[in-house]
Amino acid sequence: MDSNKKYWKGLEELEQTPAFVKDSKGEFAEPLPIENVLTEAGLSTKTPRRDFLKALGFGVGAVSLAACQSTPVHKSIPYLIKPEEITPGVPNYYASSYNGQSILVKTREGRPILIEPNPKSIGVNRGTDAATQASVLDLYDMSKLKGPKIKGKEADWETVDAQVKAALSAANSAGKQIRIVSSSVNSPSTLSVIAGFVAKYPTAKLVEVDAVSYAGIIKANEASFGKAAIPHYRFDKADVIVSVGADFLGTWLAGEEHTQQYADNRGYKSLENKRMSRHIQFESGLSMTGANADARVAVKPSEEAAVLISLYNAVTGASLSGGLTGNEKAQKVVGLVSKELLNAKGRSVVVAGSNDVALQTLTNAINAALNNYGSTIDLDNVSYQYKGNDSDFTTFLNEAAAGQVDVAFFLNVNPAYDYFDREKVKGALTKIKLKVSFADREDETAELADVLAPNHNFLESWGDSSIREGYYTVVQPTINPVFNTRQAEQSLLVWSDSEVAYHDFVKENWEKTILAGTNRTWTDVLQTGFEYKGDKPAQAYAFAGDINAAAAAAVNGAKALAKDVEVQLYQSVALRDGKQGNNAYLHELPDPVSKVTWDNYVAIAPKFAESLGLGENSVVKVTAENGYEVELPVLLQPGQAQGTISIAVGYGRTKAGKAGNEVGQNAYPFAKLVNGTLQFNTTAKVEKVSKTYELAQTQTHHTIEGRNVIRETTFKDYVKDPAHGSGNHGQKHRTYDLWDKFEAPGHKWVMAIDLNACTGCGACVVACNVENNVPVVGRDEVRRRREMHWLRIDRYYSFEHDGEQVTEEKEIDRLSREDANMDNVSVVFQPMLCQHCDHAPCETVCPVLATVHSSEGLNHMAYNRCFGTRYCANNCPYKVRRFNWFNYWNDSRFDNYLNNEFTQLVLNPDVTSRSRGVMEKCSMCVQRIQGGKLKAKLEKRKLRDGDVNTACAAACSANAIIFGDINDPNSEVSKALRNERVYYVLEEINVQPNIGYMTKVRNTFEA
Amino acid sequence: MRNISLLFRSVVKSLILVSVLSMAAVSARAQDVKEGASLFKQKCTSCHAIDKDLVGPALKDISKRHEEEWLIKWIRNSQALVAAGDEQAVALFEGHNRVVMTPFPDLSDDNIKNILAYIDDASSAPAAGSNQAEGGNAAAQSDDVSNFMLFGLIAVIVIAFIVIVVLNRVIRTLERIILNKKVLIEEEEEEEEKGKDYLGTIKRLAKNKKLVFFFVLGLVVFLGSAGWKTLWNVGVHQGYKPVQPIKFSHQLHAGVNQIECQYCHSGAFKSKNASIPSANVCMNCHKYVTASEKYNGETSPEIQKIYNALDWDGQQYGPNQRPIQWVRIHNLPDFAYFNHSQHVSVAGIECQRCHGPIETMEEVYQYSPLTMKWCVNCHRETEVNHKDNAYYDQLIAAHEKLKEGDKITAASLGGLECGKCHY
Repeated sequence: MDSNKKYWKGLEELEQTPAFVKDSKGEFAEPLPIENVLTEAGLSTKTPRRDFLKALGFGVGAVSLAACQSTPVHKSIPYLIKPEEITPGVPNYYASSYNGQSILVKTREGRPILIEPNPKSIGVNRGTDAATQASVLDLYDMSKLKGPKIKGKEADWETVDAQVKAALSAANSAGKQIRIVSSSVNSPSTLSVIAGFVAKYPTAKLVEVDAVSYAGIIKANEASFGKAAIPHYRFDKADVIVSVGADFLGTWLAGEEHTQQYADNRGYKSLENKRMSRHIQFESGLSMTGANADARVAVKPSEEAAVLISLYNAVTGASLSGGLTGNEKAQKVVGLVSKELLNAKGRSVVVAGSNDVALQTLTNAINAALNNYGSTIDLDNVSYQYKGNDSDFTTFLNEAAAGQVDVAFFLNVNPAYDYFDREKVKGALTKIKLKVSFADREDETAELADVLAPNHNFLESWGDSSIREGYYTVVQPTINPVFNTRQAEQSLLVWSDSEVAYHDFVKENWEKTILAGTNRTWTDVLQTGFEYKGDKPAQAYAFAGDINAAAAAAVNGAKALAKDVEVQLYQSVALRDGKQGNNAYLHELPDPVSKVTWDNYVAIAPKFAESLGLGENSVVKVTAENGYEVELPVLLQPGQAQGTISIAVGYGRTKAGKAGNEVGQNAYPFAKLVNGTLQFNTTAKVEKVSKTYELAQTQTHHTIEGRNVIRETTFKDYVKDPAHGSGNHGQKHRTYDLWDKFEAPGHKWVMAIDLNACTGCGACVVACNVENNVPVVGRDEVRRRREMHWLRIDRYYSFEHDGEQVTEEKEIDRLSREDANMDNVSVVFQPMLCQHCDHAPCETVCPVLATVHSSEGLNHMAYNRCFGTRYCANNCPYKVRRFNWFNYWNDSRFDNYLNNEFTQLVLNPDVTSRSRGVMEKCSMCVQRIQGGKLKAKLEKRKLRDGDVNTACAAACSANAIIFGDINDPNSEVSKALRNERVYYVLEEINVQPNIGYMTKVRNTFEA
Repeated sequence: MRNISLLFRSVVKSLILVSVLSMAAVSARAQDVKEGASLFKQKCTSCHAIDKDLVGPALKDISKRHEEEWLIKWIRNSQALVAAGDEQAVALFEGHNRVVMTPFPDLSDDNIKNILAYIDDASSAPAAGSNQAEGGNAAAQSDDVSNFMLFGLIAVIVIAFIVIVVLNRVIRTLERIILNKKVLIEEEEEEEEKGKDYLGTIKRLAKNKKLVFFFVLGLVVFLGSAGWKTLWNVGVHQGYKPVQPIKFSHQLHAGVNQIECQYCHSGAFKSKNASIPSANVCMNCHKYVTASEKYNGETSPEIQKIYNALDWDGQQYGPNQRPIQWVRIHNLPDFAYFNHSQHVSVAGIECQRCHGPIETMEEVYQYSPLTMKWCVNCHRETEVNHKDNAYYDQLIAAHEKLKEGDKITAASLGGLECGKCHY
């Protein structure tokens, strides 16, 4: 039976608001100004024949004059001494790493233009996340410092060195403290540099602090197992995953690695082996991870403790007090989940997102009781990604405020922005005699510093990192430093009177430690990009903490939370903690769930909003316990727990740069310090303000008008019948074609998209933007529905009512009335891009043949032919064609990022930067296809599967997008498309799309 | 049209060859020197000059210092001679800081004799620039199709005009015969003829409706075709020959000296860009080749420009380097993607096919129109060079099934599709 479950994209669509209905009827979202012309004003205007002729004459004359120009002079300036490895026009790839992810940096003529995952990488990442993809833009940021500064005046490095050294030796001889404040340092070489610095200045100390802290996990593990570390989670080994407020696929710890592990247990290859994990999520705001869960229960932040206590009781048979009361659904689910967990001992994992030591201790106890240590949780190959210690930083602030610290360095931290008590930071900083900031721009903290010693961008740096024990990656420069900057490690070396260049230092450090005893050399590592020593065998650990004390502390913490409106602070999947706050690509990447761009907002459940008198576009004033208040727009978020709101941190930067300044509001001050760890669950008062604010949402921009584009089944049904829900049963309808069958005798490029693997993270969207020079349009244009993304990820809601699927329209009406709190929604993500239909409806309506089909199955778009009728966009059933309204790269109104010659260096020279007035859309990375074919031709060999890959498919950690040649029966994509789950979106209209989707499979409760 | 001119050129070439060969017998000695000169330029100039020491010693009067037989052995493989313990050879080797001379095993005895002949010749007349390169003024006549059409049209119009005039005369004569009877009119005519009133003639002509009609028709056709041609050629810069910062002569380098295209434009074989060579590539030869014989011992001012760009002091590159700003001749619009390696390496097309007789160009100009029509025509006509290229095996097999023996051109493999060049 085919599911005809109903899906909706937003509340407007569900409720069929008049505005939505009106918009969905129009040919274009924005009405054409024809009426203005045709009504009184337009018709009564006299355009005399003479005026017309004048205009015509002038036009013709101007065009002829413009055309009569002599040949424009283009300079062509070759290298004077060409580096041997560079051939102009041929890209070079360098292995490097970003945030510990092993990457390849594509450079053209010596400038990095794209970041790709390292295909040979083992373990940590198969793809890259959106932040990594977008990081190439940070290199070309005009807001960066051009050189060192002292007290706001430009200086040279000699002066800086003299001044810093003088201050250091003064502090040293006076016995005053020196502090290096940094975010987690996971680079062995940097640590070694700092160790050398501390040896030179014995009062110096490294203080690690992360904007979003994981200190609670470290402390809990110390208390429970005597190991102060964050373990390495193995979601791939887990059959049952329970997450209490942890967005582990997105922002919690190593989201990219978790995605890969998670998808390996849920993607098409796993399903073909009749294997799929179960994932149950308890959380307040609807996170990306929650959206992917098989079952999701909305709980308040204050209930997280109770969920864990109930779960502990159910799993161990203990009877700790403080379990769930009230929330019936949660109680029921905890009961069911505990049985499953017990059935999957050693094959399950429970994670909690809270930074509260008590909650993490409870989680540890549950995992220990389930024998998960040594299998799904590895405490022997620990993660070094986040080592920040909140109490260390508090100590630093107190020392500084007491005048004990004379010199402080700030490396990759911005406490004046992201610490909850900013006044305390500012007060403490004024007491420090010399504050040195390594920030690449004059950010909120650097503004308060005396000396700015700007660090290189990572693409200009040497370095390394080790985010997990035994796994080391290198960072190597791919461009000469653009500005007069110096690497922070080099500065520290200089200031500790070392003459050595940092490159030599890193090399020596590797040769002495990491590469010692192996037969690999530094050059080998520069080629492969990483060194993996293999995992040590993971041991089982017995819980040795005090469970009663933890439970009591958790209950107390929950009581403190259970007042006013409970606030959950979270990191958005694109912008994370806000460090890349000036990155326009990330601002324009829609949030996976809310589809909001360019803002943070107060997410609130529709029913709760109604009780507060709030609606769409309302603005509220949120007041924290400490008196901090912000005004933020409201977003009605189905699935949000009643009585709670969620706000993203990382917004509201004031000193980030042109693109990032004053975008949203800073939510960090809502956090609070409890028992020595930073808490992101808190409370606040919410009041309506008499303002309105329209969020720039891409959510309902492309209505599907109730068509059956998503197909879904349950794992139970899938096991019985793999084709269940896909509509692939026996004889198809007989179809009649107006067109001849399309022949693609050579290659035929197709794609398979696994809806069950896609987590909706958006890495593919950013990868596509960077590869294809897709412009960023800014908030106002997104409001006008003019975002240019060639690839979007559609998010569909549907009702999930206690395990029963809602199939009938009238039932939806009933439920949407009854279940007005909309707690129980389930979500499907669907990457949507040009389907390269064989019988493409866009092609038949183009009056100038600007879009035509190729013999390789591609729907080509010739921008130079297009003159912008937009008929094709109107006739496209998938709504994937985007019209280019402006010359975004040369228009002062879009001064976000690309409007200067420096940032334009990020553009891919193999792809035209489209001018205004033309239609554009996914080309299936035709430049890569052509490039791959040419490479094969030059090498006189056959094109192999995998020689050509699209940017989106390469970026996907979940392996949700598979691209290839279907005429090659052994290609990965041919195999994937032979899967029974494959269906084609809107195949009933017989446009014969070339992108196959695989049904979403949910491993729902069998109760 | 171009085919005809190509054919013509090849015929001319072979004629020249034949005449050259017959000439050869007449003046063998001159030929020796000439061939020797070209060999000398190819093989020797990077290390030797006639009248000064470079890497190797000056070669003036070399044949007076050594036996010809010995020289042949030495040039072919100097190290073998040294190893064999030849006294002269060892002395020479030791005397020049043990710098090893490149062996030339591929030079025949005659070749070497020719080179020596050239050196003798040059030694005896050192001041005379023996081989002044005469810039061939053979700018290729690009008699384009549209040109032909235009001239054809004009010719037709002119013929039509002449026909009209002749017919008019005939009519006039006939009229006069009829009118001869009426004396009065005759008298008037005579009066007019006496006055030689040109204005009147024009007025009379203007009254002739047929003439006016043909005249206007001719004007419309002329303006129309001229306008049509102009509009079609908007943005077409065929023949564009900008002034370059250095008077670099392809005629000398590619023509006379026979330097392979890819020695300098290596990118053409492996990249999208053919790329202008970097200055250090020039320096591979021009460290030693200074053309000073033409400038009274001074370095040629044009070669000096390379030195200035690299801040070359005769030993090493200095810090004040200034890039050479060449003017780009072949400009494709941003929306057209063109890849040299696809055409040069994969398809095996000669550079001259698009760039014209580059080896005869003193200054390079844009030979081809670089219009889309021009690209597409070639894609339609050119057969795919699929031999010994495993990439094409499957494609060709698939196409042969469809085409059944038709020739497989670039177009039949999708070479006319928009997305092959526009993305």
